[in-house]
Amino acid sequence: MLKDISLGKYIDTGSALHRLDPRVKIVMYVVYLVVLFMVKSPQALVAAAAVIAVQAVMAKISPKVIWTSILPVLPLAFFIFILNIFAYKGGEVLLKWWKITVTQEGLILGAIMGLRLIFLIISTSILLTLTTTPLKISDALESLFKWLKVFKVPVHEMAMMMSIALRFIPTLLEETDKIMKAQISRGADYDTGSIFNRVKGYITVLIPLFVASFKHAEELAVAMDARCYRGGEGRTKLNPLKLKNSDWLAGVLLLLGAAVILLAEYLIH
Amino acid sequence: MQEEKNTKIIEIKAQHVSYSYKNDYEDAEDKSVPAVKDISLQIEAGSYVAILGPNGSGKSTFAKLIDILEQADSGELSVFGLNTKDEESFWDIRENCAYIFQNPDNQIVGTIVEEDVAFGPENIGVKLPELRERVDKALEYVGLKDMAKRQAAQLSGGQKQKLAIAGALAMRPKLLIMDESTAMLDPQSRDEFLSIVERMQKEQGLTLVTITHDMTEASSCEKIFVVEKGQITTEGKPEEIFLNPEKVRRAGLELPEHIALITELAKLQRVKLSKDDLVSKASCIAKAAEIACMDLQASAGELRTAEDKEIDSEDIILSVKDLSYSYEAGAPKILDGINLDVRRGEILAVAGRSGCGKTTLISHLNGLISPTEGKIEIYPEDGITLSSEVKKDKGLFRKYVGLVFQYPEYQLFEETVYKDIEYGLKKNNTPEDKRKELIIKAARSVGLDEEKLSSNPFELSGGQKRRAAIAGVIAMTPKILVLDEPASGLDPRGRREMFSLIKNLKEQGTTIILVSHNMDEVARYADRVCYMEGGKLIKTGAPQEVFAENNSIPKPLLYDCAVEVHKAIEERLHTSISFGPVGRNAEEEAKNILASVLRAKEAASNA
Repeated sequence: MLKDISLGKYIDTGSALHRLDPRVKIVMYVVYLVVLFMVKSPQALVAAAAVIAVQAVMAKISPKVIWTSILPVLPLAFFIFILNIFAYKGGEVLLKWWKITVTQEGLILGAIMGLRLIFLIISTSILLTLTTTPLKISDALESLFKWLKVFKVPVHEMAMMMSIALRFIPTLLEETDKIMKAQISRGADYDTGSIFNRVKGYITVLIPLFVASFKHAEELAVAMDARCYRGGEGRTKLNPLKLKNSDWLAGVLLLLGAAVILLAEYLIH
Repeated sequence: MQEEKNTKIIEIKAQHVSYSYKNDYEDAEDKSVPAVKDISLQIEAGSYVAILGPNGSGKSTFAKLIDILEQADSGELSVFGLNTKDEESFWDIRENCAYIFQNPDNQIVGTIVEEDVAFGPENIGVKLPELRERVDKALEYVGLKDMAKRQAAQLSGGQKQKLAIAGALAMRPKLLIMDESTAMLDPQSRDEFLSIVERMQKEQGLTLVTITHDMTEASSCEKIFVVEKGQITTEGKPEEIFLNPEKVRRAGLELPEHIALITELAKLQRVKLSKDDLVSKASCIAKAAEIACMDLQASAGELRTAEDKEIDSEDIILSVKDLSYSYEAGAPKILDGINLDVRRGEILAVAGRSGCGKTTLISHLNGLISPTEGKIEIYPEDGITLSSEVKKDKGLFRKYVGLVFQYPEYQLFEETVYKDIEYGLKKNNTPEDKRKELIIKAARSVGLDEEKLSSNPFELSGGQKRRAAIAGVIAMTPKILVLDEPASGLDPRGRREMFSLIKNLKEQGTTIILVSHNMDEVARYADRVCYMEGGKLIKTGAPQEVFAENNSIPKPLLYDCAVEVHKAIEERLHTSISFGPVGRNAEEEAKNILASVLRAKEAASNA
């Protein structure tokens, strides 16, 4: 059930992309985020697909894993697809029925918008969550934003909070699964009935899940205390971040990939 | 073997230490009740001590005071000769004191195994070549070296606790506190865990303080402190504590199996035990054999054990046929060709190590998952057959089979206990006028006071929460009740009460399927056992049959002791004696031993 979702899960394949400095990955992730939002044409989308496919191969991530990571956002992507079809009025009319008009341009736009979201998720997964452990992500964020400390922003604490939140995703998913099974065996039904009733049904999962989360938080805080956690001051690192030549090279290559997408968007017509 | 201790450094010294939780919540029940009351004790450096006591007695709270996770309200507490109140000593104490908790998931900070081991040393600023060395050595010590780069979430429960030891070890502590660290482990994992920490004590002179409900674990300590209601009521060597069974029981504890056996033997033979007899398992066995070989003091009538009522083996209520299960086609089988008949009215135990497929098997029994191959049939009433292959029967499976998962208290969600128990009844459309009666009856059968029905489930104690959750399943009056490790995490008294509750349900006619990894409890309470390993059913039968055979199935500790006593007797009498059946408890086992000695002596005098 829920265990199959790989959103936010780290999968170690030992690839070059896994070893890449997480700071490079985060910066590149932001670059790709911006670039993907600029994509509005089919040819750029094709270019993006090609670039992402190359990245996936480099990361040694199987298509199946990618599929499971986009699975949860498919309904949303579909919703965006439909919404764009209906919202777009101009162009060649393909279908007209009651108040609904479907145009060719609308169809294309919907597809681009939907696919763009899916690409966004895939590139998040490949560049970040699937290939970078939460602790590395938070290390990188801490290092990238350490200048904010000047303005009294608790950078270390925020990074630690984030890494713990990510670390607990699999634990909470497992727990959700257990609670759902327990409630189902008491007669709960999460698959049928009206949407309102289904949402209401989830209260039987959410409340125990919240209670469990508080318990986790409380116990983890004590355990961290016991292991002498006292904030970022004076903390050393087992695997300190160090930019190597290969990291610079990878950064340039990833930038080139982003440039290819932009070129496809603005130069090819 | 005993090493002379030439230095007796006091590691922990408490004088009149008290502590009470400061609660901000006005309606909290235990607002002003002190958790620790006037505790005074001394623990020597390099010793291995146990703190025992019922849940909620304040043992964990006291342990937290040692690590200054809480600050004592009054009294003097010094650790490593440093005062816990001194701000300057704060980090000196905490850096040298490691703490392992009960739930492995709530103490792992790092995603990757080695990242987590490094967490502690990183916090205290250990620099790089040394940091790497500490992490690698700690992982090697606990046997997780090959998993250094693995994700912590993928480890088994036993491995996660070993990871916690590695995290503690990397701190190079002088003192290790274990707060029910073995409570969630199966017996094999527990033994592995204990052998690692005991090795640390011997090789590195580590002081071990363990809080446990496991009496066998406590019996191997050098000293025991019994804490009740925040106070130390008894302290002494294990043999001194366990010499007085009445007192042990009154404190909500019980005897370790090997001591229980010799105590029963001594009772039947009218012998008074001395504390020297109880010093070790070996001494217990030697003395037990000696007592058993004395002239029989007990009357023949006393040796009779209660006959079990044989359950009619023809009357099957549930049948598992050639069941196999895997997550997806081609994936390894979680369950592999299971065939099992459950008899009406029995307690059937499904036993095996963590991860052997027990929980997957029981999830099939009320249709939570569907078999990949094979089927399940239930025969709830005369003339009715429900099959997992028939789609419309699935809903009825849930009507007849109630399933209580491990830690069921985590499923509570309603505002009142009453409403929570009512949930299932609402879902199966029980008419409103009938519900109240069923709810009260269910609450009564789990021993929950009627006044508790109107309280918020989250205000109840741990044991009561579990009862409330079980009541929620019982209220639906299932014909078959499946319980997954119903006693895990409970203290000895809680365990006893849980099992007497289960026996009552059986007497009311409910068929019970009990999932457990504790073989002693299986032998004590189950009519039949099926033992699973790697998704396969290895053996099914009465506990006497399943455990008596010479096979790989782990034996109840009690039975293990009885076998050793038998061997010791054979050596004494220079003859082979016939083995008695596996007894359900220490008393039965003692009677069986005496009966077989009697038979051997009669045979010798006839010859």
